[in-house]
Amino acid sequence: MLNVKRRELVVPGELVAEGDYLLGEGLFRDGREIYSSVVGLVDIRGRKVRVIPLQGRYVPKPGDKVIGIVIDAFYYGWILDLNSPYTGTLFASDLLGRKVDFSREDLSEYLEAGDAVFVKVKEVDELMHVSLEADKWGMGKLKRGKLVEISSAKIPRVIGRGGSMISMLQGVSGCRLRVGQNGRVMVWGRDLKRVNAIVEALLMIEREAHTTGLTDRVREFLEKRIGGK
Amino acid sequence: MEEKPEKLIVNGKRLDGREPGELRPLKIQAGVLKRADGSAYVELGGNKILAAVYGPREFHPRHLQQPTTATLRCRYNMAPFSVSDERKRPGPSRRSIEISKVTREALEPVVFLEQYPRAVIDVFIEVLQADAGTRTAGITAASVAMADGGIPMRDLVASVAVGKVDGTIVLDLNKYEDQYGEADMPIAMLPRKKEISLMQMDGNFTPEEFRQAIELAILGCEKIYEAQREALEKKYSANLGGE
Repeated sequence: MLNVKRRELVVPGELVAEGDYLLGEGLFRDGREIYSSVVGLVDIRGRKVRVIPLQGRYVPKPGDKVIGIVIDAFYYGWILDLNSPYTGTLFASDLLGRKVDFSREDLSEYLEAGDAVFVKVKEVDELMHVSLEADKWGMGKLKRGKLVEISSAKIPRVIGRGGSMISMLQGVSGCRLRVGQNGRVMVWGRDLKRVNAIVEALLMIEREAHTTGLTDRVREFLEKRIGGK
Repeated sequence: MEEKPEKLIVNGKRLDGREPGELRPLKIQAGVLKRADGSAYVELGGNKILAAVYGPREFHPRHLQQPTTATLRCRYNMAPFSVSDERKRPGPSRRSIEISKVTREALEPVVFLEQYPRAVIDVFIEVLQADAGTRTAGITAASVAMADGGIPMRDLVASVAVGKVDGTIVLDLNKYEDQYGEADMPIAMLPRKKEISLMQMDGNFTPEEFRQAIELAILGCEKIYEAQREALEKKYSANLGGE
């Protein structure tokens, strides 16, 4: 039995439902009752219930693609800041996709402190030690562009349903985007003005993430910014 | 310090015109600080309190990290200009260290700390203006700030003081009642299950008075809880932009 409507705003400790539901994020069970643990909007799909959080830190999950920033290098790899309470470890072999002989190679050729890297979360153990990999196509060091940091809770909106928002952003501006689940977005393109327009559009998406018809409004905004040179 | 008023209750009304079971005017606002992960501002009568929450974030120094859960750190601090009679000496005092500790213990039971092993959640409570009952107002503010910061919690924490003045059990003591009353008992409650996570007492109650006081505190906490929910709903429905 549901106690709230779809898309209703709930606060921590609010009764969402009773009975056999499959719990997604932002919920916890106490006996038969299901309560929200965060401020967010209720999302119901059949027997599945979750609360879409409106705030909160990014926590690494296996399979997530994120943008990390190298904060330190050690003998066989690097430590990356993930815009999260936890840092990630990237081994040189997981970046290069081959065996690395550390006595012959100088790792600073590949990455140095301050570099932005597009990586995939390979594994997270129970103590939240995060291991990363970046040996697939399209992963690895991001050599240029502007890095924008927004709340990780708003990233699904930057991507849009089925990628609608991100393909619109790229299509209208001709810029390229790389979106990390951890709230970081790298934008690059030939025209700096267009890149800046995308940065502004991203901040607009963050501000207005929970309004309807956002894709159209962002498109309008972008076309105006780019058209009026 | 001002003179003690002759009577604290006149014709069943308190000095500030309240009924015994009435709260002072309460205002709660969520999300007032841009740089903090979560924040709240509470006004309860003459109290003006700001709470900020940071985290969960990496815990330094690392030897204090707890391998299986997050750590909650609280700091209650009074501004030097927060009291009326004289400038308060800034910095931690015996009193503020104690209040920081009981605040942490009042908030700990609601936070899902085990979801963030090794991390730390920092809660800062700054008293800008004090008028009795700052620890309870601070807990009320901190709990809204944590919810605003997206920290997973089992419930909010509502908190209020009860006491005895001129033999009457009253809710939410003001400065005079706190100073010259017979008893003062701050209570923090988890409204969903009506569990108490803070209870201190200064003065004396008979067992019967104590029961009455607890019941009055529960009523007060429920009112505060409503205001906390409203504050959170107001902030986020404003963000929803008329959806």
